[in-house]
Amino acid sequence: MNQFSNVDLSNLLLNLYGNSDEAIFFFNREGKVITMNRAAEEILDTDVYEQMMAGSTGAICKTCKGYTSTDELQTCQSCYMSNPDENISSFQVYFDTKGRGIIPYSASIQTIDEQFGIRVFMLRDLTQQFKTQEELNQKMMMQRVIKAQEDERKRISRELHDSVAQEMLSSLVDLRVLKYMNVDEEVLKKVQQTEGSLMRLLDDIRHLSVELRPATLDDLGLEAAFRTHFKWIEKNYGLIIHFHPELEAKRYGGEIETVVYRICQEAVFNALKYADVDELVVRLHVADGFLHLLVADEGKGFDLQDSDPQGTGLGIYSMKERAELVHGRLHITSEIGKGTMIQLEVPVLEGGNGE
Amino acid sequence: MKEWVGFNFQQEIERLKELFGFDYVGIALVQTPERGFELKWAYVTGNQSERHRRIILQSGKGVAGLVFKTGKPMYIGDALNELGTNNLFNYPIVVAEGLKSFGAIPLYKYNRVNGVMLVGYRKNQGLTVEQFEQFKQEIGKKFGPFYDKEMVKDESVQ
Repeated sequence: MNQFSNVDLSNLLLNLYGNSDEAIFFFNREGKVITMNRAAEEILDTDVYEQMMAGSTGAICKTCKGYTSTDELQTCQSCYMSNPDENISSFQVYFDTKGRGIIPYSASIQTIDEQFGIRVFMLRDLTQQFKTQEELNQKMMMQRVIKAQEDERKRISRELHDSVAQEMLSSLVDLRVLKYMNVDEEVLKKVQQTEGSLMRLLDDIRHLSVELRPATLDDLGLEAAFRTHFKWIEKNYGLIIHFHPELEAKRYGGEIETVVYRICQEAVFNALKYADVDELVVRLHVADGFLHLLVADEGKGFDLQDSDPQGTGLGIYSMKERAELVHGRLHITSEIGKGTMIQLEVPVLEGGNGE
Repeated sequence: MKEWVGFNFQQEIERLKELFGFDYVGIALVQTPERGFELKWAYVTGNQSERHRRIILQSGKGVAGLVFKTGKPMYIGDALNELGTNNLFNYPIVVAEGLKSFGAIPLYKYNRVNGVMLVGYRKNQGLTVEQFEQFKQEIGKKFGPFYDKEMVKDESVQ
């Protein structure tokens, strides 16, 4: 400690007291404010400040909205000011501040002078940390929702494919048997029509199952799933997709494949909906331990900073969230009139895990 | 059915286009059952893009798919507002041809929808309800090998 002996400690402390963003109050044993620093003055409403300076002991309660106990978020039960001998190193308290409304603070109260019973009460603004915490929670929640949605889709898709479609197929076979029985011409015609309707229904169920989540993705991997999907897009919407898979049929684990598939699906749908193009390019390749996905069109493009996006505006957000699920990164470049490019890179173990 | 072999669809839709001043007329026909009852735009006139050639609709998808599935005419006076920008892409032919108002009718054969005729304008409120009604009257009970269920009381007529 000797090496610091020539430091002007009182000056440093004065600077801390005067310039800190933390509000510092000094109380005497009776709970009267002796003095407070600039940061403390700033959070107090003028009339509260005046009452405090006039020596009113209860003035602090006008601005304090309670502290967090194990029972309640904001409570006045056994107030931190009530016991002058108790030191609390940290607790959370809510203050109604001037101009900013009710804000959470991390507070501490301790006796610094036993003889005169002087206590110091310090407040640290927690808004920033709360915001960070909230963002983190939101992100975790979003990722869980994405996961839950994917699982549920998988379940329903399987159910449709394995049980509903199978049942339908057996009734179709039963119906076909009728053709070889001795039935009336008129009946036969009706049977054929019913067979047609059933076949259509079976097709609908299969399409629904694939739309929810393609079984090919789990069974055969990205390349096969994309090929089927793009063929479907071309048939349904007349959009040509130039697909360049350079994966050599490798597998990359269920989660990564799902993310890449969903992001690509979203990107292609966005191009379909908003880019006003007849064709687009999708490239899939591996380099330097990263799986790269590129979706590019030469359509309308859009302003990335636009706060009022076409559509729900959720698409790009959920694409980013999905990418983060597998520690991937998503780059979007777009220029009005030139087109849009979506790039995704996901770290993969070299060689894949051959799931 | 043989009497309709010589029916010229192309000529007929061009005549209708002229008569009503439509911007676009198209007929989607059901493909053979072996191909899973898909609908393809077989005859078109007034088209601005070739996208219709690639579009093969499943039952229930797109304008033709919907009319096919429901068996009822469809009328949209203001595509952008009635279908919504987020939903419009589900009607690829409307997007590709830039149709703003359109109507579609089912074409029946053997008591089933066998085709769909779409007529439309590239301007809002181009097709009015009255005009769509007139168009249906013009088609009448029969259109080539097809008939209009609404016009024919006895459904067994073929």
